[in-house]
Formats: sequence, structure tokens, C-alpha cells
Amino acid sequence: MTLSILTIAILTVLGAALAVVLYFVAEKFKVEEDPRIDDVEKELPGANCGGCGQAGCRAFAQACVESEDLGKCFCPVGGNDVMQKVAAVLGREVAAKEPQVAVVRCNGTCENRPRINEYGGYQSCRVKAALYSGDTACPFGCLGCGDCVSVCQFGAIAMDPATGLPVVDEEKCTACGACVKACPKNVIELRNKGRRNMRVYVSCVNKDKGAAARKACKAACIGCSKCAKVCPFEAITVENNLAYIDYTKCKLCKKCVAECPTGAIHAVNFPVIAPKPAPAPAAEVEKPKTSEE
Amino acid sequence: MDKLLVSPSPHLHTKTSTKSLMRDVVIALMPAVIVSFLFYGWSSMLLMAVSIASCLLVELFITRFLLKKPSTIADCSALVTGILLALNLPTATPWWVVFIGSVVAIGVAKMTFGGLGQNLFNPALVGRVFLLISFPTYMTNWTRPQGFIGGGLDALTGATPLGKVKELMSMDGATLTSIPEYMDLNYCDMLFYNIGGSAGEISAIALLLGFAYLLIRGVIKPHITLSIIMTVAVFSGIFWLIDPAQFTDPLFNILTGGLLLGAIFMATDYVTSPMSKTGGIVFGIGIGVITMLIRYFGAYPEGVSFAILIMNSVVPLLNKWFHTKKYGRA
Amino acid sequence: MMKTFSIGGIHPNDNKISKDCKIEVLPVPSKVFISVAQHLGAPATPVVKPGDQVKVGQVIAEPAGFISAYVHSSVSGTVKSVGPRQDLAGNNMTHIEIDVDGDEWVEGVDLTDTLVTAIPEDNKAILEKIKMCGVVGLGGATFPAHVKLCPPPGKVAECLILNGAECEPYLTSDNRIMLEKSKEIVVGAAIMKQVLGGCKTVIGIEENKPEAIKAMSAAVAELQKVGKSYEGISVMALKKKYPQGGEKQLIDAVMGRQVKSMGLPIDVGAVVQNVATSLAVYEAVQKNIPLITNVLTVTGNCLPMDKQHNYKFRIGMPLSYIAEYAGGVPEQAAKIISGGPMMGKAIANLDATTVKGSSSLLYLTAEQTVRGEESPCIRCGRCADACPMGLEPFLLQKYARHNMMDELEENAVQDCIECGCCLYSCPANIPLLDVIRIAKGDVIRIIRTRK
Repeated sequence: MTLSILTIAILTVLGAALAVVLYFVAEKFKVEEDPRIDDVEKELPGANCGGCGQAGCRAFAQACVESEDLGKCFCPVGGNDVMQKVAAVLGREVAAKEPQVAVVRCNGTCENRPRINEYGGYQSCRVKAALYSGDTACPFGCLGCGDCVSVCQFGAIAMDPATGLPVVDEEKCTACGACVKACPKNVIELRNKGRRNMRVYVSCVNKDKGAAARKACKAACIGCSKCAKVCPFEAITVENNLAYIDYTKCKLCKKCVAECPTGAIHAVNFPVIAPKPAPAPAAEVEKPKTSEE
Repeated sequence: MDKLLVSPSPHLHTKTSTKSLMRDVVIALMPAVIVSFLFYGWSSMLLMAVSIASCLLVELFITRFLLKKPSTIADCSALVTGILLALNLPTATPWWVVFIGSVVAIGVAKMTFGGLGQNLFNPALVGRVFLLISFPTYMTNWTRPQGFIGGGLDALTGATPLGKVKELMSMDGATLTSIPEYMDLNYCDMLFYNIGGSAGEISAIALLLGFAYLLIRGVIKPHITLSIIMTVAVFSGIFWLIDPAQFTDPLFNILTGGLLLGAIFMATDYVTSPMSKTGGIVFGIGIGVITMLIRYFGAYPEGVSFAILIMNSVVPLLNKWFHTKKYGRA
Repeated sequence: MMKTFSIGGIHPNDNKISKDCKIEVLPVPSKVFISVAQHLGAPATPVVKPGDQVKVGQVIAEPAGFISAYVHSSVSGTVKSVGPRQDLAGNNMTHIEIDVDGDEWVEGVDLTDTLVTAIPEDNKAILEKIKMCGVVGLGGATFPAHVKLCPPPGKVAECLILNGAECEPYLTSDNRIMLEKSKEIVVGAAIMKQVLGGCKTVIGIEENKPEAIKAMSAAVAELQKVGKSYEGISVMALKKKYPQGGEKQLIDAVMGRQVKSMGLPIDVGAVVQNVATSLAVYEAVQKNIPLITNVLTVTGNCLPMDKQHNYKFRIGMPLSYIAEYAGGVPEQAAKIISGGPMMGKAIANLDATTVKGSSSLLYLTAEQTVRGEESPCIRCGRCADACPMGLEPFLLQKYARHNMMDELEENAVQDCIECGCCLYSCPANIPLLDVIRIAKGDVIRIIRTRK
């Protein structure tokens, strides 16, 4: 009996003493943090993808709290919805941004761009790019080892074994930009999703002169400038033998698509004539898929 | 070739592969397997067959049906585990006990950690120790030799020299001089084949042959094995010199039990031993000391398996502490 | 006891099949394409334009920076174009295309075979000549030679090491020049030694080239009778081990000293030059011949003995021309390598042209070179045993695949010399060097930006 009382007494005293110690230690090493950081973090997707340019969601939350006007802070994964919520938490205003999507600007399929040698090293675009120009005659295009696939945290990009090119799943893509950074050839670009997901872009990054580019790949941009001439909105510029369509100026008239002699300009998600990636049936028009998505 | 192959340098590669290394270990184990066959007869071969077959089957089952990945049994590592497990068991072990041991060795100790190269503990040893704790009666049922060489034909249940010494020394006032099993031991017999024990323990010379083969082929480096043997020699030597009536002598400790089998084939397992030379020596010293502590002062007569498993657990730490000597960073 | 370096190393079969094939001179093709990037550092700036007449040895591109080099025309004729063309790796690089017409050399060049042993006294003039003749290190890195021969202030050269190790399997060009141009090499060594202030000079040669050791020793002995400039030169036989020819390994083997991480050989008083560089220095200083030729080995197990060659080539010759002249690309060749099989580059494009540092056209069969399938690391430690820098490739590759830059730097990835010993010795075919090479580049970039 005395033993049990003694045990309880010792444990009680010990517990109380340690609690006091713990309290003071906790006080001493307390880290002062803005409680709003927690509130902002709760609103974020929590993917820690780094697409915003910060180390993770908490770092982004901290950056939001510290920034004056949220102008430089944007969570590409959460998009405008999340940014509105963050702004509400912080009591600030935020301007809506066009949602974006990753676009693979290479159409060097196995058919368009035959392989001229065989790569036998580690299957990584970075390793391959550091070694040589690649297993096709085009030194600019996609290397096909799938660094963009392995870096995507949302499973939004996959290699198509038939073409040897990556395909972006527009539903899953959050425009975090990880693939853009991972691609050593700068083939992938973030572009505005556009009205009803409709986009027109040059699916090529070859800067060689026309003849060389054409020799390397049937679907290469040869820098002929026909598209630039036909564009009524001055959205197309040709630099270094390569055309580029400014997505902020493009009005989706598709005149350039018909004009391009090599078919390097792609128009996607248009209702009737719909080439890859996803064949869009006529029903797609009725879908309430707005640019807000 | 119509298309040239392009890859980063180097463009040449060694002929040595994981498979060829494992094959060399199997070849190195052959002398011990042959001796156990000659010594224990067909029953030891049956045990070996059950152990190998169940190890391969368990790995095949797990990779193909649970993980849905290509089978990895072709790399021969499960084969090595199977042989080692069999060499660690008494010949009289029932087949279903061997099977359980294989399931634990491959299924629990190897595949749950992620398969070859990922396991923290030596699979065969985990299997053996699991059986030793779960089925002590089977695991200490040392059938006397009934093979083609050595010993009589009586299938008596005896004990290993280590077991006998431990049993008799636990009595009050016992000294080694009063134990005939210890005093009458002939080192020549121990070296060749004539002592009781599991299939892999009976012949020191067969194990040393395997050791020589592994060294010549460059499969293992000698430092871990030598470090264990030296530590056991020094540790037991000190105690033996202090009191030869209470402590067994160094040669007895080196040649009996699973010490050589453990030091040559189990402690040197690539996956579960330290990467650096210094780490390997420390690892060996640890095994030697723990083995002798268990043999002299512990409840079990034999401690090699426990010693190796305990030291396996500190390998990540040893890898962190001891690194290779770097050029220009002395 | 023969010396060698102290850490790691491997022993691949040396396959010096073409070691007895005498150097043959390749005829000049009708057209050459001379690259402006034949050296480490900034590509040179072309100073000729289409239509210009050029002679052999005329400067056609000038250095564009401190670490850069002159490029000379290797033929006489008319410049046809200056523009991009794919190099060995298929990347675009400016090449100067010249239509060949005759073989007229610039004035002042001594094309006779007479050995000139008297060394000019003015060191500044010698260095200027080496620079003007576009001499670069021919051991692989093609670092401009004159830069290496001017130790930074406060540093003193104690030992000039002439690298005749030729530790790469298959290559025999250094072996041949050591046999056929021994005296010229020794004179070149004496010139560099004088420029460096008269330090000790050691010619390191691996034991698998006994004829070269003999020839070089004889040449040194003979020249030492000529004059004082040749004192203090000696030949050292080294035990065969790859990568003995690595600068840091050779210093360790010959001097027993180790260069600190991120340091230069001169920090421990060493200057290392290849024997081929020494020959180029001789020709530049004593004969006024700019670096427009070098020797290259055409070899491979799949070539019959009579198709093994050592060729003296001129820069700008298309590799396809050389391959054709040597009897065509063998049927079994799966991979063609420029350089040794351990550190050389696989050729993606046979239309690429020879450069100053070209050392071989090596044909490997699929059986020899195709990598096995990658399997899990069994932690055998063979990569760490093989690494001549004492690194732990198994650890580095793991960190590299997870982009753990701090850990990579802590474990000295920046010390990697990319010799390939780790990947060569891995039984699990893990692409160790492939990933470590990339990580090394990243870490060095981080270290540089920090400074």
C-alpha cells in the first residue's frame, strides 16, 4: 500500500516538475510567427510543387503575408479561386489571371523526324542533352526521355509511345511550370488556356534555316513568314527562322494554320476540325467549359 | 548496324554482373555443401532442396503476384539465401519448418524492405534466428552423423561441442577439465569434418576453401572476415589466459559453431555490411566481441547469428561515420 | 617497385592492337571544314571571309578571350563559306570551309626533318610563338598550352611531367610518336622546362609500352650529350593502371603529392603536358609550324590487322573521309568513338571533322559496348574501390537523382574527374557517371556563383 502511494507521489512530483521545465523551455524557444501564415496556408492546395517559385506552400503563404499587394504572388495550381480566398484572408485585392496550360512545342514524331542514331545511355533528357544533339537530325526538338513526365507531380504529362512525344492532360495540368524548367531543350511553354480551351500555337522550336529544318523534320517551322503576313492581328513574329504566336494577341482566327506549308502551326480544341491531342467532338462546344476552369 | 549507338562515356564495361557475383558465392559454398552431403547423407540434400525451392518460390510469388513486377529470381540472390539457410539448420529439421524459415527470410527480411539491395538484415540469418526462437526443440536437435564419412551410424540426438560445454559449465563448480567432450576434442577433426552441428558448420577446411575462392575471384575483400576471427582470437585468448579452467581456448572458439560460416559468408554479405574498409573492420570487431560475450556469458551456447544481426543494425551508422579516403583531402 | 597512383583505379584489357603500325600521312582531301572551337574556352573568331585565298599555316581565326587559341588553315586554297556545321556531338558550331588547291605553305616554316636542338633563350618569345601557333594540350582537355606554361605569380613549377601514360585502352598514337619522334619530344620538353624556370622533368610512361620507354630513354641520353638544357630530364616507367594519364593521378604517381580539391597542379609545383603537346611545342618553336596536324589511331577488335592504322591527319578533315580511306566502317561496328573507350565521345555524326585533339576512330561492337539492363544496387562497393578520387559513386548517384546539392558538395562530387571507372566496374549497370556528371556541373556552378 505504501509502495503504491509512494509511486503515485513520486510520479506526480516528477510530472509537475517536468511540466514547469517544459513550460519555460517552450517560452524561451518560442518562435514568433504571423498567425495569418497558417490561415493562408489552409487555403492553398498543399501540393508543395514549387510552381509559384517558393520552396513550398508554407513559404508561399509567408511570401503572400509579407508582400504588399500580392501582385507577384500567384499559385498556379489553385488558380484564381485560391488567390481570391488568400486575398480575402489578408483583406487585400487581387487581379484575376488568365489560367494557363503547358504546351509541348514539338511535332517531331517518329514519322516526321526519323531517328538517325540510337541513344544508349541513361534515359534522362538532361543527360542526353549534355551529351549531344539527340537521336534525330533536329538539334532543337524534344529528346523523348521523359524528364517532364517524371517531374510532374500531378500526373498530367505522359509519353505517347507512338509518337515519342509527351502529351499534356489539360484537365490535370495546373501550369505549375515544373516541366518547363525540367526540359533542357525549352520545348514546353506555359500558354493561356484561351477561350473554351482553344489555342493556336507553333509546334516547333527549330531555329535552323528553312532547308536544314525541313530536312531534319517534316513538320518543322521553316521560318518562311507566311503566317506572319497573313495574321490580321500582328500576333506572329518570326525570329531566328522561327515563328512565334503571342497568345495575348491571337484572336484564334486560324488563318495562319491554313497558310503554314509544313503544318507546324497547331490549332487545338476547335469544334469542327480538331487535330490532336484530344479529338474534340461537336458536343464539346456545348460543354460549359469556360476559361475560368 | 544501320544506326550508330551513342551514349555517354565510358563505352566499356566489366564482365562482372550481380548474377556472376552470386554465382561465385554459390560455387564458393559448394565444398561445404559436399561435405555436409558426405557427412549427413541424403537427408542434408533434401533439406537443401526444400530450402532453395521454397526461397525461390516465395520470391517468385511475391514479385509476380503481390508486386506485379518482373521476377527477380534470375539474379541468383534467392538461391544464395536458400543455400545459406540450409547450411545453418540442423539436418533433422522438418521440411515445413524450413519452409517457414524461407518465408521469413525472403518474405519478411528481404522483400518487405524492397528486395535485393534494400534489406537491413541478412535474410538467411533472420530466417534462422526466427526458427531458433520459434522452434527451439527442432533447432537444437543435433542428429549425430549418419552419412558416408565420419562418426558412427547411430542417429542419436547429441549436441554441438559449444552446446555441451555451455550445458555442463552451467552446473555449480564445473570446470572445463571435467568435461570430456571438451578435453578430448581433436583440432584435426574439427578442421576437417568430425564435429556435430548444422550442415555448414562441420568442416572448417571446406569453408576456408570457399573463402580462398571468393578472395581469388575478387568477390569479397578479406578485412571483415579477418577482423571477426582476430577479434574472437584476441578476446577469448585474454579470458583463456586468465582462467583456462573456466574459459574455452581461442582455437576452439574459432573452429566450432557457425563462426567461420558467419564470418566468411554471412557477415560479408554486400548489402548488410559497411561500404568502407574502416567501417568493415569496426563491424567485424563488433561481431567478434558480441559473439564471445554470448558464448561466455549468455544463455545461448552460440552467438554468431545474433552478433551479425545486431551489427547489421548499426551498418547505416557505420556508413555515415566512415567514408573512403578521398584524393587531396587528407 | 614501379610507381602508380595511390587510390582506386581499374585494369581494363589494354587492347593496344595498333601499337606496331607506323604513322602514315593522310593525303589532303579536296575540301576541309575547320572548326573554330578546337580548344577549351571561348571559340575563336574567324578572320577570313568567303572568297579569301589562304595558305597552309595561315591564321584563320583569332582567340576570343584569355583562354582561347589561334586556329590556322591546314590547307591552301579558297575559303568557300564560314557558317554553322554540326560537330561531333551534332551541335551547330561555326566551321570555315576551304576548297583545297595545291599545298602552299606560309613563309618562314621549316618543313625539313633536321632536328634543331639549340633552344632560343628568350622565354617570352617562346611563349609568344607557342601562343601564335595555336598549341593546345593534346591529352584530351585541349587547354591552351601557353596559359599552362605561365604559372600565376607566387607559384613555382618544381616538376614538369610529360604524360606518356596513354592509359586509355586501344589508343596508340602517343606510343607511335614516342617511338618515331622521341628526340623531338625531348627537345619540346626541354623548351617547356626552360620556360618554367629549369625545373626537373619526368616523362611518365606505362609499362605496357616497353619500346617507348626504351626509345625515350635513349633519346634523353643522347640529347644530354648535346647541352646543358637537357639536364634533369628523366624517363619513369609506371605500373599499368587506368586512369594513370589523369593529371591528378599522374602527379600522385610521379611526385607522390595530391592536388587539393578545386586546386590546380601548380599548387603542388607540378605542370603536366602530354607528349603530343611537347611535339607540337617543338614544331612551333623550332620549326615555326602551327598546330594543324596530329596523329590519330584507327582501331577496333572488329578490324583486321591490316586495317589498323596510325595516321598523321590535318585538322578539318571529315571523319567519314578518314574512315573511307582506312577501308570503310566495319560491318560489326555498333559505336564509333573519338578518343579512348573510357573517356572518349561517341560519334553521332561521321561528317564531323578532325580537330587538334582528335586521337582516334575506335570501332566497338555491340557486344563490347551495349550496357546491360540496370538492376538494383547491391552495395558491393566496387565503384568506391575503383574511384581514383576516393569518392563514393553509389552515394553520389543517389543524391544526384534527388537533386540533393548540399549532400553532393559535402561528398565531393566536384572532385569527380569523369574517368568512368565507377560505371565500368558496376555489376548492376547503374548509370553512375551519367547522373554524377550532371550533378557535378550543377554543384560547380553553385560553388562559382557563391564566390
